[in-house]
Formats: sequence, C-alpha cells, structure tokens
Amino acid sequence: MTREMKIALTFQKQAYAVFFAVMLSLVRGVAYSNEIGIALEAPMAILAFTFCADTYVQEIAGKRSEIWRLCPEKKRMHSIYRRMVIQVMFLLAVAAASYGLVFLFQKPSVYGMEQNGLESEIYRFFVYLAAVAVTIGFWGLLSNLISCLFRNMWAGIGGCLALWLVTNSTIGDRILGPWNLFSYSFRELEDSGDFSWIYGKVVCIGIGIMAAAVLPEIIRKRG
Amino acid sequence: MGIKIEDLTVTFRNKVTAVHHADLEIPKGIFGLLGENGAGKTTLMRVLTTVLTPTSGTVTLDGMFYSEGNFEKIRRKIGYLPQEIDLYPNLSVQECLEYMGDLSGIPRQTYRERIQYYLEKTRLSEHRRKKMKQLSGGMKRRVGLIQALLNEPEFLIVDEPTTGLDPEERIRIRNLLVDFSEGRTVLFSTHVVEDLAATCNRLAVMKKGKFLYSGNMKELLEQARGHVWICKTKEEGRARELEKNYHVSSKQYAGDELQMKFISQTPPQIECSSCEATLEDAYIYLANREP
Repeated sequence: MTREMKIALTFQKQAYAVFFAVMLSLVRGVAYSNEIGIALEAPMAILAFTFCADTYVQEIAGKRSEIWRLCPEKKRMHSIYRRMVIQVMFLLAVAAASYGLVFLFQKPSVYGMEQNGLESEIYRFFVYLAAVAVTIGFWGLLSNLISCLFRNMWAGIGGCLALWLVTNSTIGDRILGPWNLFSYSFRELEDSGDFSWIYGKVVCIGIGIMAAAVLPEIIRKRG
Repeated sequence: MGIKIEDLTVTFRNKVTAVHHADLEIPKGIFGLLGENGAGKTTLMRVLTTVLTPTSGTVTLDGMFYSEGNFEKIRRKIGYLPQEIDLYPNLSVQECLEYMGDLSGIPRQTYRERIQYYLEKTRLSEHRRKKMKQLSGGMKRRVGLIQALLNEPEFLIVDEPTTGLDPEERIRIRNLLVDFSEGRTVLFSTHVVEDLAATCNRLAVMKKGKFLYSGNMKELLEQARGHVWICKTKEEGRARELEKNYHVSSKQYAGDELQMKFISQTPPQIECSSCEATLEDAYIYLANREP
C-alpha cells in the first residue's frame, strides 16, 4: 500500500490538489453556510477527473505497460483499484479541508443558526461529505476508464470535461432533474428535507460500478 | 524445446510490414539477435512477449501455441527487459523491485531473497535505498534487468541490456546472463556485436523483417572468411577510393600509414591481404552481400 501511495500520490499531484482547494476557497464567494456544498461539488469533480486520469496510463507513459502485461491480471487489477482508493481518500480529505477553508476565508453566516445552529451545520457537513465522496469516486473512475480506453490521460480529462460541461449546466438540470450527476448542487437549498438529489448520486454509483467492472476487460484488450 | 517461429508476419495498420514470413528456432541457452535499426527485432520481441498479435504465422514456446487461451500460462514463463523503460521514479530501488515482485505474484520471502541476490550480482546493493530518479542510466538499466529476472523466467527476452553501462559493468551483466541461461532460453538483442561475440554460440541476423542468417556463430564467421581484407595506405585519395568502393569495417592510423579493413565479396584489384573475420565483419558482410 505504501508503494502504491508513492506511485499514485506524487508530490506534484498533492501540491496542485492543495493549491486548487486553497484557491477555490479564496475565490468562490459564499454568503450562507448551506451554499458551501454547491460551491465545492462541481470544482471537486474537475479535480477528481484530472487527478485520477493517469492512474493506469502512467504505466504506458513510463513504458512499463509491456512488463505489466506479463503479470497476473488479478494482481494488476488489485494494484489499479488500490491506487484508485488511495487517490479518492486523499481527494476526500482535500474536499473536507476545503469545506473548513471556505468557512475560514469566506466567513459565511451559518444557515439556520437561530434554530439548531452547530448541530445542523455538522449534519450539513456530513451530507456534503457523502455527496462529494460519490462525486469524486465517480469522476475518478470515469476518467481512468476513458484514459485506459484511449491509452491517453488527456482523452480521460477531455471526455470528462465534456460530460461535466453538459451535466453541470441549466440544460443538464432541466433535462435530467434529480437524476443529474450534479443533482446535489442543483437541489432546493431552502428545503433541507429534500433528498431527491440522491437519485443523481445513485446514477453516479451505478455508472461507477459499471466502470470498475468493465475496466479489467479494457486493460486486457488495450494493455 | 525452446521457441519455434513459423512463417511469422507482422503488418501494422499503416501497412508497414515489420516482420516478413520469418522462420526461426531458438533453442535453450543464450541466443543472439542482431540487426540494424528498424530491422524488426523489437517487433519480434513484442510478439514473443504476447504484447503484439502477429498478422499471420505461429509461435510456440516449449510446444505451447501462442493463443489467447495460453497467454496467461506463457506470460508466467517470460521475463522481459524492454529497450526503454522508466521504472517508478518516486520509489527506491528496493521498493521498486518489491513492487514488481508483488505484481508478478511471487511470494514475499522469495522475491526478497532474489532481490538481494541480484542486487549484489549487479553491484547495486549500496544503492538500494536511492530513489529511481536519482540513478544513472546504467544503474536504471541494471534495475530493469533485475525486474526481468525476478520471476526466474524460463524464457528471458532482453533488448539492449548493456546500453549505458561501463565496460566492467557490461562484462558483469553479460556473465550474469550467461549464468542465467543455464537450462533456460535467453534472447539477447543488441547492436553491440562485441556483446554477442562474448556470450552466444548461436544467433540470428535480421534485416528488413527477414532473417538473413540463423545458426552457429562459427558458421557465420566461416561464411565471411576470404571476404575480409586489410590494406595500408599513405595516400588520402586511395583511402577515399576504398571507402567509396567497399564496406570499410575499421580504420586506424599505424604510424604514418592508414590501415583499413574492408569487406569485399570478390578479391579486390588492389594490393591488400586477407585477414580473419570478426563477428562485426561477418555481420557487415552478411548485411551487404548481394543476393
């Protein structure tokens, strides 16, 4: 696991992820605390698909893929999945830290402070964390899958960016509604009891599972 | 048993044929593969490592056909050092090799022992804690070779293993390969004719996707016998003329005279003497002889 951490989490990658989080929390204006999730989810998706695009294709770039092919398929896939888990966990930590940084830099008013204050804020944070975990996992898996399919990390980044632009738009919201990949960001802010955005996250989980399942076949065929 | 290649052709999508109806038998022991750049050596090796599927023809390893169903079994028998490889720059030598050992499915204790053994053999023990990105080109090459040897393969394919190594290191790696080849098959591809002369008894010479020669080293030298000549001259014009008309395999100044060794299919019409052919001369003779 330590070796995979050193491979998947290089200093450069960690540095740009942290830089991204700091810049985002400095630049993105937030008035109320219940807007933080909306402000962070879509940019976190960008970070995830950029970060995870080279999970496997770095083996191709480093000319190691021909050696990889000689190794048992099960071992290769375990290694790729381990790298993915490491990256997602790191990005989740960055996403959690970003929430705190937005509080620190933007000083938003705590939404509903007069009712149950801190309790509802902690609740909101964990809901955000759950939603963003699905988002990061989905975009990471998808970008790795597309990169492997085209044997090029820019294909993964480009493909995901196109999908991001479509789904993170009013058109995407209008067409897909609660089934949109960014349903959490498009949810009704005032209605904290509305959980219809979960449908969108179920779609993310479903596609993510399919991406993880189809990956061994792509690695086998494309190498 | 070894490897048997029959009527092998590899044509790429851009219609370039890299290997053209090639037949070859690679027996146990160390077998040299020699050829100019673009001769098709790397393509052939990529077929043998199952990375590339040939357009036509068959390959068998110890009687086992190269087919989708057998690939998993075949791959377990192969070790490969590609011409270019950039092993994990952020891992130390030890970590990198352990990672490759894990990936190959070798038990931890076994690969740790093998890593220690090969690090000592390649004089890398003192560098085991260094990061891969801190190593010189020659050191990286040696680590690459160790990863190819880790699963103690029955069939080892090494593409230019001595590139970037100093003379002493080259000898050490050559000897390591010779020791390793006992009871196994080692395909040793290189441009350095000297390396093959020092390690192989059998070799194949490739040119434009075809085998010009396959067989014993002595027989290859025998073919070139009587076609290698030495001429000494003081005149620059004569030297130029020789270079224009023949394939000069070496030239050096001996006092004020220029001594030139050249290859000629027929006895040259100039004052010169015949000499013993080296493997390099034999290669030049073979590669340039008229059909």
